[in-house]
Amino acid sequence: MQTERLRVAILGSGNIGTDLLIKVLRSPHLDCALFIGRRLGSPGMAKAMSLGVRVSDQGIDAIIREPDCCDLVFDATSAEDHKRHWPVLDRLGKIAIDLTPSRVGAMCVPAVNLEACMDCRNLNMVSCGGQVSVPLAHVLGNVFGPLEYVEVVSTIASRSAGPATRLNMDEYVLTTEQGLLTFSSARRAKAILNLNPADPPIIMQTTVFARMPQSDLTRLALAVDLMVDRIRQYVPGYQLIVPPVWENGRIVIMVRVQGRGDYLQRFAGNLDVINCAALETAEAFAQSRSRDRDEVKHACRS
Amino acid sequence: MMQRDCRETLAEGHRALEPLRDSRVLITGGTGFLGTWLTEMTACLNDLYGFNTRLLLASNRASSFKDRMPHLAARPDVHLMECDVRHIVDLPEDVAWVIHAACSPDSRVHVSDPLRTIDVLVNGTAALLSAAARLPNLRNILHVSSGWVYGAQPQELLRIPEDFWGALSPTSVSAAYAEGKRCAETVCAAYRNQQRLPMVTARPFTFIGPCQALDKPWAVNNFLRDALLGGPIRILGDPQTVRSFLYASDMAFWMFRALACGKDGQCFNIGSPEGTTLHELALKIAAQVSGGLEITLPNLSAKACPGPRFVPDTARAQESLGLKPTVGLDEAIRRTLAWNQWEQATA
Amino acid sequence: MSKLSIHDPTLRDGNHAVRHQLTAEQIALYARAAEAAGIPTVEVGHGNGLGASSLQVGLSLLDDATMICTARENLARTKLGVFAIPGFATVDRDLRPALDMGVDVVRIGAHCTEADITQRHISYVRERGKEVYGILMMCHMAPQETLLEECRKIESYGAEGVVLMDSAGALLPSDVTARIELLVRNLGIPVGFHAHNNLGLAIANAMAAAEAGASILDGCARGFGAGAGNAQLEVLVSVLEKAGYTTGVNLYKVLDLGEVAEQHLVTSMPSIKSLSIVSGLAGVFSGFAKHVEQIALEYGVDPRDIFFELGRQRVVAGQEDRIIETAEALRAAKGNRP
Repeated sequence: MQTERLRVAILGSGNIGTDLLIKVLRSPHLDCALFIGRRLGSPGMAKAMSLGVRVSDQGIDAIIREPDCCDLVFDATSAEDHKRHWPVLDRLGKIAIDLTPSRVGAMCVPAVNLEACMDCRNLNMVSCGGQVSVPLAHVLGNVFGPLEYVEVVSTIASRSAGPATRLNMDEYVLTTEQGLLTFSSARRAKAILNLNPADPPIIMQTTVFARMPQSDLTRLALAVDLMVDRIRQYVPGYQLIVPPVWENGRIVIMVRVQGRGDYLQRFAGNLDVINCAALETAEAFAQSRSRDRDEVKHACRS
Repeated sequence: MMQRDCRETLAEGHRALEPLRDSRVLITGGTGFLGTWLTEMTACLNDLYGFNTRLLLASNRASSFKDRMPHLAARPDVHLMECDVRHIVDLPEDVAWVIHAACSPDSRVHVSDPLRTIDVLVNGTAALLSAAARLPNLRNILHVSSGWVYGAQPQELLRIPEDFWGALSPTSVSAAYAEGKRCAETVCAAYRNQQRLPMVTARPFTFIGPCQALDKPWAVNNFLRDALLGGPIRILGDPQTVRSFLYASDMAFWMFRALACGKDGQCFNIGSPEGTTLHELALKIAAQVSGGLEITLPNLSAKACPGPRFVPDTARAQESLGLKPTVGLDEAIRRTLAWNQWEQATA
Repeated sequence: MSKLSIHDPTLRDGNHAVRHQLTAEQIALYARAAEAAGIPTVEVGHGNGLGASSLQVGLSLLDDATMICTARENLARTKLGVFAIPGFATVDRDLRPALDMGVDVVRIGAHCTEADITQRHISYVRERGKEVYGILMMCHMAPQETLLEECRKIESYGAEGVVLMDSAGALLPSDVTARIELLVRNLGIPVGFHAHNNLGLAIANAMAAAEAGASILDGCARGFGAGAGNAQLEVLVSVLEKAGYTTGVNLYKVLDLGEVAEQHLVTSMPSIKSLSIVSGLAGVFSGFAKHVEQIALEYGVDPRDIFFELGRQRVVAGQEDRIIETAEALRAAKGNRP
């Protein structure tokens, strides 16, 4: 079967958008038709031009003017902007993968609900801590049934938290908690975020806790290993550092996420993971489209 | 209420703004406190004196202006342009006057995102001026800088004149706004020199009046808010700090006057030359609330007095442009309290 | 004579010492006694503040609302304070209801290099017209020039004062003097200091802060607080009066307050245990002590090794999860030894 690449546009030429661009260029399933920012002189635009990518400084207008340029749009602007962008993208029939904390679209964590996402047209990538922790919370729920309480603590390098992250700590907490509740079947969830200024910068680390009487962890350990393998397929820097242990009335699982260092620095696993998840989702759309097309061809032939 | 203030100011003053007749003014940052007052004043010029002055308000918050000020946003002589000043490329050809006042005045944003602050001030100014340089009928540009470009006012200097060079620490994180404004002035001077753009600089100090958000962490706003909530008025920081307050309609008139009649290359302080301590200010506000209000002072152990000052010398504005404050501080407080009470009642 | 304002976080920092198990009766009793002693502000809550009850830093016996309401009912002239760290506490879930329940004073904390994260929360409290202070925790971990920069941000956000917390009890009096002097000289708002006693210097450090121009000092009855405890309130008030400061606190009543704390709050009197000294030397948050003790026991490793290793990794308050990882690594290393 011959796979046809899915044409995508990236809206937002900041650090996230630029890192995503490099990931898209490496993908065998995607084709970056347009990289869109607001100013041609910005570092992200300069990088894109140096890579020979078509760029525009017209923001969402670039897509309005040339609606046929792409099928899928990554939105790496801001939550406020995405709320304006989505009605436009919706009208133009685009698929949107939203990397902002807008909470407009359906929540997407590829390792957990990628298949179900193929029926949606606006997907929200939750939060960095959510991408890292939700799959583990999901496994906990699967193994032990509905959890009473699940908690996630992420610590990220101070340097990887830009002004928007710092101003929006509350949105991070609420979005991550919402992700945990949706995918873990827990009754209550809590998310905590720490910034650590150590130099050299620390690598993003996340701990998942669940309140639990002492229990047999063999099945859990197996299921966690499987899940970690699945995540590593699209987040290569995802690493289990403390496999499930029971300690003082709680189960503890710890992971660390090192970034690929595409455009962002390696310690910024928190930014990398959300881009990796977005890319995985877009590739799934590409493959599902190819499959559909093949089926149609097949049907015509027979 | 704002209309009444503008009418009062313009009763005499409209003659001094004649050059603005039958022309178009672009205001960047046009939906903020200053832009709102300039718009109100333009409405008055047009409605009462048939000025036929049209406004183009450029702002990244144009849509919220429609909600806040529907009576202004809906006017045929007011146009809104949703844009970030850094991304301005072209301007409508009929723009004759430019008032450049874009940049959040919120000091919280300046320290949390100093890079963005500098970017907006420096690169935003450059983007605007290169677009303005291609305007065929450009008459004048008023660059709204800031009184903060002078840095700390020396104790022995009662009022800061325009040729005081100032003392700023360039490396402090809280310097981003003041240094950004300084650099923006340099950018303006360079465009004036190299591209021959006409340029007048305004350096605003502290203002009081309707439309100022009471939740901003500034002394006068918070005193007014405390008073409206029924007190007590809490003075944070040094009560001996000296500020001066120019009423909003005076501010708007001074700005228009500097734009219309300021000579190329001139620079004007915009503010009241009458200094008052925060303690006196709180007393004045308390006195206007029926029954009076308690004032609580901070617990500052043996801080040096007198406190820091921030008061402009406005002799130049008076001599060159004939500008004087027309609304005294007590009256300014009375009007501002009344407006906010009315706002609350109708909200 | 200089005036100093005393801030009493016994019912908040003390919660660290009892694994956040303070009861409503204890809170009510202490609040009444503090009111009687003329304490200006009493701070109540989980040791890590609003919204912090968690598996990470310890589950609280009482929820925030119960603690706040209980204290509220028993305070009149004394102001009711709470502490909140963005990342744990949010405006909508935690601050709004706390203010609605009648909290007078909010202190917003952040690691000493991360003041930006307090902007939203400080602004919110300020916009509600309540007293708000910015807190820099673990203030031994940054040079004084950095602290000044961060304090300038806090000042811009509209805080009425800024308080340095020596959360690990790691500073020497000369360190305190240098830090406080620089801040007082350069800031327009009052500066405060919150001491811990890991190295036996809490009172000495609080005094150094006062001498350097601090105008807010934290003290806990009987020193009831995380690790080796805080500056002991009764001693602090007495020493300050002796040195010529006025605090407005009644001496006999604050001595009584110490008795109340000893009889009704304190399970084991704060003392400088070996582990607290190590925590101070390693520069690790005092609140880690109980967790380290327990996990060291479970994993059969030396708790002192855990503290020094955490200090080497420069962990900040809120990173309690690193204790398990470190204990496990130490156990593994021990197992590998011949």
